[in-house]
Amino acid sequence: MRARVVVTGLGVVSPIGIGVSEFWKAALAGQSGISAITSFDPFSMDGYRSKVAGQVRDFAVERFLDSAHGERVDRYAQFGLVAAKEALADSGLQMAKENPHRVGVIVGAGMGGMVMGEREITQLYQQQKPHRVHPNFIPVITLNSASGIIAMAYGAKGPNLTISTACSSSAHALGLALHCIREGRADVVITVGADASITPLVFAGFCSLRALSSKFNDQPEKASRPFDRLRDGFVMGEGAGTLILESAAHAKKRKARVYAEIAGYAATSEAYHMVIPREDGVDVAYTMKLALADAGMTPAQVDYINAHATSTTIGDAVEAKAIRQLFKSRADKIAISATKSLIGHTLGAAGAIGGIASVLALHTGQIHPTANYDDPDPACALAGLSRSAQERRVKVALLNAFGFGSNNAAVVFKQGTK
Amino acid sequence: MATDPTISLKIRTALGEYLKRDPATILIRQHLRDDLGLDSMAVIELLYRIEEAFDLQIPDQDLVGLTSVGHVVSYVEKRLKKTASPAPIKKPAKQHKPKSKKKS
Repeated sequence: MRARVVVTGLGVVSPIGIGVSEFWKAALAGQSGISAITSFDPFSMDGYRSKVAGQVRDFAVERFLDSAHGERVDRYAQFGLVAAKEALADSGLQMAKENPHRVGVIVGAGMGGMVMGEREITQLYQQQKPHRVHPNFIPVITLNSASGIIAMAYGAKGPNLTISTACSSSAHALGLALHCIREGRADVVITVGADASITPLVFAGFCSLRALSSKFNDQPEKASRPFDRLRDGFVMGEGAGTLILESAAHAKKRKARVYAEIAGYAATSEAYHMVIPREDGVDVAYTMKLALADAGMTPAQVDYINAHATSTTIGDAVEAKAIRQLFKSRADKIAISATKSLIGHTLGAAGAIGGIASVLALHTGQIHPTANYDDPDPACALAGLSRSAQERRVKVALLNAFGFGSNNAAVVFKQGTK
Repeated sequence: MATDPTISLKIRTALGEYLKRDPATILIRQHLRDDLGLDSMAVIELLYRIEEAFDLQIPDQDLVGLTSVGHVVSYVEKRLKKTASPAPIKKPAKQHKPKSKKKS
């Protein structure tokens, strides 16, 4: 029999709070973390079509870490380190008592170290002084810098992997971590999603893709509005989420508190288009079905969906269509929420932060609101969406995540035994 | 539809380069998606070229109306007329009603 895998620790860095309790309190209150971008100075925002984002404010890594590990990595990896520290402390795991080879780190990151990346590239092209490229440039921009530094910070010598599948990166990281423990390759996996790429070039790139909201620049908190009729694109966010995954047997042995069980995962490709989803929603529905099958469950058992829901016109409509296809009449009985309505789209961190919201829904029976769901779009209206927090017993939660490159992920969580 | 021949040619040339076909075979009445096979991403790439060719910035909300070659031509004409031609238009207009077709 394959090993059951449970979630025993959580950590988050988000635009609505650093730390799970602050994040969850703000999420349940429907607080928006979206504001006008101020970090591009001396760049003017005038030429940008979109001018708002979910930024982590007043973040200084040294305030959160006792060690020097955060000093020589980029902002996204710093977020990852801080979220990992909180999650490990929350789990009660003591590395000194663990076999280090049985503790892995798997990180999902979409863009990686773009803060330093952009600065160094700009300087080289402007000044043409190759000898002035910073010696730490390559280690910092290498996409596994977060998984590497987190392992170093905690002496985790097990599998150390980074998965980059754009906006679904950390949902796949959760899936890989689940497989890793199921297959007996590790007892514990520190599973992280992290991104911090609200930078002048990356942000301009998303503007040029016409992917971002530009209609609510004067009302930033209104800009991210999944499933609402006035939605006009996603809002970029940044942050990190960490979930400590471990085998149920290992958790039991050390008498760990169990938030939930991670029970199923599926990964598919639509093999369709780099940035546009298939409009019929068939592949999305299939992905959710496959993840439920992996968990040994049927669609009739799902109580809550943490939707991918980025607030784009087509993306939300396709996801709603897929939910209707798979769940049929039950679609309106399932509670649904869109974490991106509160914090924007944190790209590689989105799956992990959505996973945390899913786990907390299972653990607390509370579902955070979907902000700005003011005027339900008939193309994607689902009765389980609400502008208010919902209280209901959630036994099974489904996390959706879809990414550029035509890829889909779905993860199933269920109530864990204490 | 009466169109400025220079603007029309420039736009059809840009389309021809993008689609790798003779601009002469691209007609004003053709629909970008249905006749020329451009998906929403391809339309965005085409408009990126047109923005450069005419030194324009096309705000997101204006994309909705740009569905045929003729629409693009008359849109560019209108935008160029609005300013003291041939000075470029630098500032996006007041924004409302854009469409976003992206997944992530």
